[in-house]
Formats: sequence, structure tokens, C-alpha cells
Amino acid sequence: MRRTLVTFFTLLLLWVLLAEVNHGLGPAHVYLFAGGLFITYAALVLPLRDGIAAVMLAGLVCDASAPVRVGTHLLLFAAAHAVVFNIRDRLPRDETVARVIVALLLNLGLFLALSFALIGRGPAPGAVWPRLILDLVCSQVFIALVAPWFFALQARVLVVTRVERDPLA
Amino acid sequence: MPKRFDQARPFLTLALVGLAWLLVPVVVKTFTRASFFELTAPLSVAPSYARDLQEYWTLRLHTNSELIEAGRDLARLNASYEESVQQNLSLQAEIARLEELLRLPAYADYRSEHARVVRRDFSGWWQRLVIRKGQNYGIPVGAPVIFAGGVVGRVSEVHTYTAVVELISDPTVRLAAVVEGETQPISFQGGINTTFDPPKGVIEFVPLNVFASSTMPKKLVTSGLGGVFPPGLSLGTITKVEPSLDGLYKTGEVQLDPRLMSLTEVTVLVPRNPE
Repeated sequence: MRRTLVTFFTLLLLWVLLAEVNHGLGPAHVYLFAGGLFITYAALVLPLRDGIAAVMLAGLVCDASAPVRVGTHLLLFAAAHAVVFNIRDRLPRDETVARVIVALLLNLGLFLALSFALIGRGPAPGAVWPRLILDLVCSQVFIALVAPWFFALQARVLVVTRVERDPLA
Repeated sequence: MPKRFDQARPFLTLALVGLAWLLVPVVVKTFTRASFFELTAPLSVAPSYARDLQEYWTLRLHTNSELIEAGRDLARLNASYEESVQQNLSLQAEIARLEELLRLPAYADYRSEHARVVRRDFSGWWQRLVIRKGQNYGIPVGAPVIFAGGVVGRVSEVHTYTAVVELISDPTVRLAAVVEGETQPISFQGGINTTFDPPKGVIEFVPLNVFASSTMPKKLVTSGLGGVFPPGLSLGTITKVEPSLDGLYKTGEVQLDPRLMSLTEVTVLVPRNPE
């Protein structure tokens, strides 16, 4: 329970930071999506129950602030978590590079899933793709830059709150 | 525990979550959504107060002579606004007289509620703003939102201390419009928001006698039909019209005000006598 809540609070912090960055980028019509970052650490490091609970709570936060059907982010995040959790023993999950690659792949999948689900609402769906592709590229660059810091933060917060033991101690 | 079961455990959990979510009543889902929005509202509002404070301290750095100059400019502006207020009053009296004379129904009356923008959320999927006023200021769902350049959008969600505004550049926003000075209604829809470009919208069912181009643009304003937006508010500029595939009407492109993307304050028009 404590592990779930602590992880959720780090995801909440990510959500706030992302909202602020997107607020600043609004005038340039650039939007960063970092769904992959919400899932990666929980799926690669935490036990199943704690990880999926934290990820689902983060999904509910994303659902509350987006004009999508309630549960869209929740189910997408839960599905992505299940896939990564299932294959995590075959990945070098202690290495930061591997974690960043998983975050990038997850983000790509989630971004495309959301795009296909939402693109039909506009008057000219074909005309929106160039914008979406540019947003995706910017989001992937953002994740590649931020992910190592965010994973370190999540690990450190779990140690500071005495949920996990310090590996260096 | 058998290894095969252990491998399937994440997917079994996912299936259980999916099933549970399908069986949960809509009321519970709506309540959950509202609860999570309210839970995160202080986290959204706090940075906007921090920005205001930052702006305040930036303004404090101005010298006295700069403030005196700004005060003088404001006094000039106030003088011209006072003149406009006088003209507005006489025009309103004229409208009221004509309405009485011709027995026309009166225009809807609105109360203006100014609100700071808390968060801009401009993706390729949706275009929304969160503002710092909600139920605490009596803002209703569907209320029109405007700024100095015309229409911003309409209120789509109202929460205790905040409200969400759907911009006219959002792909799901549709409204009735007219070319300024004309009466034939046109359907406007937002939705083409390319990177580094000002937002655009599309118009449909444009009468064949309407001509516009980037060199000869025409102003698009609200028609007043549908009862949400008062008539005559600026939506944007028609920069392109071409015959539609069926040849019965034209379709076109509308350039929206680029200031829409950097708004810091908007005005919500709250109907005084909602029907």
C-alpha cells in the first residue's frame, strides 16, 4: 500500500510538471505526451499488485483531465503494464538504457493507440497527422532526456520513504 | 505456483481490471472522474498563482518614472473608453426603443465574469483551457467564453473552483456563424492546429455567393442561432472558400486569432436569466 502511494505521488509530480511544460508550449502548438514514463518503472521494478495499482491511479488522473471516455487511460496504462511486466525478466531491467528504451516504445504504442481512438472526431483527420507526428517526435526526445532523472527520482523516493532498502547502504 | 500460471498473472489481473471497469455503473465512473479532477485541481491552480506572483515581482522592478508613464497612458485609454461607454449607452437605448417599437424579442442578457487561465492543454486531439473560477462564481456548463479578439469557446465542465473551456479550435466544437454583414448561416468547426502556425477552423454549407481569399479575406462572426453565443462576436477570418464536392455549397478555411494560444485571462458570459 505504501509503495503504491509513494509511486503514485511521483507519478502525480510527473503529471504536474508535464502540465506546466505543455502550458508553456501551448502558444507554439507543441504538445508533449509521456504516457510511457508513467508505466515503465512500476512495470519493470515493482511487484505486480503495487505497480498496477499506482499505474491505474495515474491513469485515472490523466482521464480526469482529458476529454476522453472515463477509463481510457486507465485501461491503456493497465494493458501496457501487463505486457511489460510479463516480459520484464527477459529484459536487462536494472540498466537505465533498457528502461529508457522500454519507456520510448511504450510511449509510441500509447500515443498511436490514443491517436487512432481520437482522430476521427476532427473535420479533416488526415490533416492532423503531421501535427501528431511532430508531437510524437518531441515527446520521444523529451522522454529520452527526462527518463533517467525520473527513474532515479522514483528509486530515491522509495528509499527515502523507507519502502525500499538503499542498495548503496 | 506453476510457472505457466505465474506468466499469465499480469494478464489475468488486467482481465479482472477490465471486467470490473465494465461492470462499474456510469455514476461511479463520473464520480471517480470528478473526484480525481478535484484532487488534482490545487496542483493545477498553485502554479498559476506562482506565475501571478512572479509577474507581480517583475512589475515591482519597474521604476517610478515608468509607472508614471504607464499611468498617463492608462488615463488616455480611460478617457477614450469613457467616450465609448457613452456611445454604447446611447446605442443600447436606441436598440431598446427599436425592440419596443417593432415588438422584437430582447437579446439575452449576460453577466461578465473575468477569470485567469490556469492551464492550457493544446494537443492535436483536443484544445482546452482550465480557468480559475467555477461553481463558486455561478459559472454554468455551456456558457460562452470571450476575449478581446472575439470568441474563445464554451464552458464544457464546471468544478468547485475551476472550469474547463473548450476552445473554438477544438475538433469537436461546432457552431453557427455568418459572414459579417450578411445573414445566411454557415457551419463552423474547429480542428486544424498545425505546429508553429495560428489555429484554423473549417466552414461548411457556405452559400455560393460568398467569395473570400487570403488577399480578400472576410470576417466570420457568430450568428446568434442556437442561443449559446450572442450574435456578432468575432470568430476569425475566412481566407479560402472553394466549391464542395456536391456543388450545392462551398467549404472553406478560417484563420483564428493567434492570441487564442497565449491567453492569460478570459471573460465568461453568464446568462442572467437562463431558460
